[in-house]
Amino acid sequence: MSSQFLLPAFDNPALASQLSFRAALMALAEPGLIQTLPALQPIAGLASATYALCLSLLDADTPVWLAPAFDSPVLRANLSFHCGCPVTDVREEAAFAVLDRQELDDLSGFDGGSERYPDQSCSLIVQLDALDGGQCWRWQGPGIETECLMSLPVPLGFWAQRERRTQFPRGLDIFFSAGERLIGLPRSTRCSVLAQEAS
Amino acid sequence: MTPDTASRQRWMGVLARAGDRLADYEHQLKDTEYQLIRPAEIGMTMVRGRMGGTGAAFNLGEMTMTRCVVRFADGRTGYSYLAGRNKHQAELAALADAHLQGGDQLRWLEALIKPLEKIQQAQRAAQQAEAASTRVEFVTMVRGES
Repeated sequence: MSSQFLLPAFDNPALASQLSFRAALMALAEPGLIQTLPALQPIAGLASATYALCLSLLDADTPVWLAPAFDSPVLRANLSFHCGCPVTDVREEAAFAVLDRQELDDLSGFDGGSERYPDQSCSLIVQLDALDGGQCWRWQGPGIETECLMSLPVPLGFWAQRERRTQFPRGLDIFFSAGERLIGLPRSTRCSVLAQEAS
Repeated sequence: MTPDTASRQRWMGVLARAGDRLADYEHQLKDTEYQLIRPAEIGMTMVRGRMGGTGAAFNLGEMTMTRCVVRFADGRTGYSYLAGRNKHQAELAALADAHLQGGDQLRWLEALIKPLEKIQQAQRAAQQAEAASTRVEFVTMVRGES
């Protein structure tokens, strides 16, 4: 039995999951703007925002892939209890994936959708320690008026991986979470490294 | 089905039908440290039936249900599913389910389940007796053809 691992989730499930869903929508609609999610008790290595996203987005129709760093009996028990979602070991099957920083060098296998159904792609939830402190990149595209400068602490290899995996309209939509905060990076955002970084 | 499952089904059934009577035991049931894993919530469930018990399944209709899950400090979890919208009763039934899985099972069976079951059986018998009193026996005269 895995029931001894169970922990409480949202205090008010209906309201909190709707707030989280709204925040996730806003995050993808306005890339680079920080959204705040309802506070939640962190669980088994998942920060509050990551867990809140999982609780509001996952259900029985969405197989989820967990990075080895997060894959624990506690998390599996709680996800299957509160969300009822299947956990898959095959990246190609996943509708959502929960990643940590270490996994960002290799995004192979995640489904980028098809030309006909780009919406069926896999969405990535990436948990970081903070939402700034890395190299500065310029983000441009839908939802950003002119440009926004972001310095996510992600490995350099990630940007090349993302470029490789994006053949619009196919691609991966990404949520970066840290603590209770969230930033969205949809496939439509164009990212370029800032030249005058030293200044 | 293991005997454990069968007896748990029995007590969960009794608890689900207990109605307001569970409130009499509230003090005893809540006399422990517990956490609400899933606070009592109201939802709908589709009731399905089979014609004659064997035919293809069909949807009979939706009914309102309330469910609740609690966890004790020692890790035991208690579940409840009951008809209607009574959240308070769902929480008490889940607490009772958790108590019944512990070392004190016999005491709880004697103190809680047996009396409730007795009342429910008496109500059921009374209802059946009332229905039986209106029963009509049809008698067919056999025609002497054979």
